[in-house]
Amino acid sequence: MSFELGIEGLELASRLEASYSDIRIGDVYDRGIQVQNGSVSTAQTIRTGGFGVRVLVDGAWGFAGSTDLTSDEVKVITEKAIKIAKASKRVRKHNVELLPSKPNKGSYETPMKTDPFNVDTHDIIEVLMKAERTISDQSPLIKSSSAFFRAYKDKKLLLTSEGAEIEQEITWCGGRMGCIALRSGETQPMHYPDRRGRYCTSGYEHFESLDFPGEAERIGKEAVALLDADKLTEHKTDLILRHDLLMIQVHESCGHPTELDRVLGTEADSAGTSFVTPDKLGKFMYGSEAMNLVADSTDLEGMGGFGYDDDGIPAKKTHLIKDGKFVNYQSSRETAAEFGLEESSGGSRAKFAFNLPLVRMTNINLIPSGWKWEEIIEDTKKGVLMTQTKSNSIDDLRLSFLFGAEMGWEIKNGSKEKMLKNCIYTGITPEFWRSLDAVSRDDWLMHGSAQCGKGMPSQEMPCGHRVSTARFRDVRVWSE
Amino acid sequence: MLEIAEKLVDETIKKGADQAEAVAFLTDNALTRFANSQIHQNIASKIGGIIVRAVVGKSIGIARVNSLGFQPEKEAVEQALRTAKLVPPDKHFKSLPTPKEWSPIKRALDPETADCPPEVRADAVDALISEAHSVSPVVKAVAGYISTGMNAFAVANSLGVSAQAAYSLANLSTTVISEDGGRPSFSKKGDFSRRFKDLDAPSIGRETAENSVKGLNPSKLSPDVYEAILMPLAANVVLSSVAEGFAATTWQSGASFVKHHLDEQVFDEKLTVIDDPRDPRTILAVPIDGEGVPKRQVKLITNGVVSEDSICYDSFMAVREGKESTGHSLLPLERSFEVPSVARTRPTGSQISLENVVVSPGNSTVEEMIAETKRGVLVTQFHYNAMLSVTDLIISGITRNGLFLIEDGEVVGPVMNLRYTESMLSTLKDIPLISKELNRTQGMTLPIIKVSKFRFTGVTEY
Repeated sequence: MSFELGIEGLELASRLEASYSDIRIGDVYDRGIQVQNGSVSTAQTIRTGGFGVRVLVDGAWGFAGSTDLTSDEVKVITEKAIKIAKASKRVRKHNVELLPSKPNKGSYETPMKTDPFNVDTHDIIEVLMKAERTISDQSPLIKSSSAFFRAYKDKKLLLTSEGAEIEQEITWCGGRMGCIALRSGETQPMHYPDRRGRYCTSGYEHFESLDFPGEAERIGKEAVALLDADKLTEHKTDLILRHDLLMIQVHESCGHPTELDRVLGTEADSAGTSFVTPDKLGKFMYGSEAMNLVADSTDLEGMGGFGYDDDGIPAKKTHLIKDGKFVNYQSSRETAAEFGLEESSGGSRAKFAFNLPLVRMTNINLIPSGWKWEEIIEDTKKGVLMTQTKSNSIDDLRLSFLFGAEMGWEIKNGSKEKMLKNCIYTGITPEFWRSLDAVSRDDWLMHGSAQCGKGMPSQEMPCGHRVSTARFRDVRVWSE
Repeated sequence: MLEIAEKLVDETIKKGADQAEAVAFLTDNALTRFANSQIHQNIASKIGGIIVRAVVGKSIGIARVNSLGFQPEKEAVEQALRTAKLVPPDKHFKSLPTPKEWSPIKRALDPETADCPPEVRADAVDALISEAHSVSPVVKAVAGYISTGMNAFAVANSLGVSAQAAYSLANLSTTVISEDGGRPSFSKKGDFSRRFKDLDAPSIGRETAENSVKGLNPSKLSPDVYEAILMPLAANVVLSSVAEGFAATTWQSGASFVKHHLDEQVFDEKLTVIDDPRDPRTILAVPIDGEGVPKRQVKLITNGVVSEDSICYDSFMAVREGKESTGHSLLPLERSFEVPSVARTRPTGSQISLENVVVSPGNSTVEEMIAETKRGVLVTQFHYNAMLSVTDLIISGITRNGLFLIEDGEVVGPVMNLRYTESMLSTLKDIPLISKELNRTQGMTLPIIKVSKFRFTGVTEY
């Protein structure tokens, strides 16, 4: 990539009195193919190139980016970033400081067997079409069905005025399929692997492993069966969440509230703040002793897996919650310094090179305990099993949540009895996690969200969640 | 820009497409973000690129290149054509749209807003923060952002479509946090305009701070069905969910509520809603859609009644019903600088977008609404709203940034946030009062709305 242009930008920033500067140069390929109701509804490739210059002048940030990667534009954009930093200084009470970091030099590339960008479009369409038709063929009640493939390749170069030189090429792919069964105004959706899709930093072999054609018949049948399923009356019971629903619970009620920038108030006007206030660090029982949670960018299967974050910090694993106790935040060099942490968790990430890096989730993983998932069901006398996210809502402090499942099952005396529809559960984050008493080990799977939105302008960041099946006691459930 | 689009169309046809469409675009914007009463993020970005849609027989391929730094033209044309030759035919496709007469919207682009210097935004932030803190010593922190800039795009196709638009946007949002020993109180307000100088930062700062102070020490309110005064940000959530039902994609899938309530009195007769880019009250002054088709006014709700004429089409969906496009194909650029336009994907076929929704005003004021309320709540904002049922428009979310209890015609005081689970169809059936003042929000210009019944289903601790 354009190393020389990057150096030009850093040298200019230094001449213009920046005490620190970095430049990111990126080239992103995003390939999407969707089959819907028998036709190809999306077949497109988006390529996004560009760069961004971040400067610290007199303790205030300035940032500017462009898609025009030329020597002249690097000069214009660097000067603009300096001008913006000087404007920031007008309304700045405290100087920005960065936690000291060794200027790393290195490179990283996602390990893979088959590059998803080298797979023929026709071959992918054939898989999607077969799966989508199989779903649709299950019943005339299926009014809409689709199957989607996406592959993403992010090539980026980071250079800093401290001497860091990092080149990375991160590739992920995956997809989703689903349908809507409709009868007399009632709709029932069903998806596989989940509503958001399952994506991993991997080659095309990950998409193949999802086996869309093999799962399609079940998806179609389940959507239709849901039309005749029973509803839950409102009550409190033991709730078992399968991994495909637990992932969103972890994302919303553990991932976001432990982001240090939210805690420090810098997302107050958009995403919100957090109930995990500074006084809770090292003292607060977030959950039961069965709860162990890590931020782990060394888990290379997840979409938060990489070699270095956008501050140039090498990938690392950080415990956020240990035996139920809250022990650390997700942080960047800036937020760690402001809070007084000894080190950054390596969570500084920018979507595109012309976006500002923010504190973002990497892979937020819930560590399993000794159970097998079937043992959790067998051990439950009366309860509800819920699978697949249908809806999710949580407040701006990340306390009060309500999640909906595409499918539920009544559990009686250790076995799955009847299917349930429109299932909802709700709770308050710490109370809910303190009721956790079992986490399975044999279905510990990496899920990923490609579309976690945060920041202003909003950046959709991919992140991962390796989770399994877990049981929570005495949770309020009902069907809408 | 139009020249680039037309050249791309010629190139795509020369290389073997039967039909071709091309878009060239540029967005040049800046956003100054503040929190804890100081600027903490301050950015500018200039993003340009092209989109090519190639049609071979009835097969369609799309390529988008968000870059000006290499040879995007060659790459986009070749990629779109390569895809079109590989995908199976779209059985519904008949043709790209034919040209229709269009004209630009006057005063859509304000040069001062398009090229607003960072010092001007910083000074506006400073004025807003100072004014907010002057309200009370319990005002602890002020957060938000001010964005300014311009968008421009041109669309051409091989059937003769040749159209372009350029428009400026300015947006201000602020959240003021007050604290006096207990839990913090949040309040929020924002405004949009085509012109930066229309945004009154100090008075927005003052009003938001006053509401934040009023929100301190909330009491607990049991979840129940209450009368509700929906302030602009809250009303936007309710009406945006309704607006989704007017997209031809939702309508044709059978999931639109419109399908099940044609020509019925589905809403209160006081509710009238249009989508019209030429209405001077709307923000996004764009005369054409993403296919270069002139945007038409569509009457979405007329005195509470919806009909087949309420549906918004692009050329792809219109042809399936033997109708004409209403000019509602997704624009290549986002409706504000809150979302980067590079992420805006375009499907090979259809994607409908309503960008200029205007809800007709009533003849009331907020004070009159409060005076007419026996027992109800005033809602500033709904947060993290999840659709539970598409056909009934049942949504669950939570209140945010200020919830106040009203009893016997007076505001009693702040209450802790509540979770709601409500059908938007049900709640809009009985609207006793609508404000005469309209407010500019994301994608929608709308009044404050009072509804007789709104169902709250859960409590919070703050």
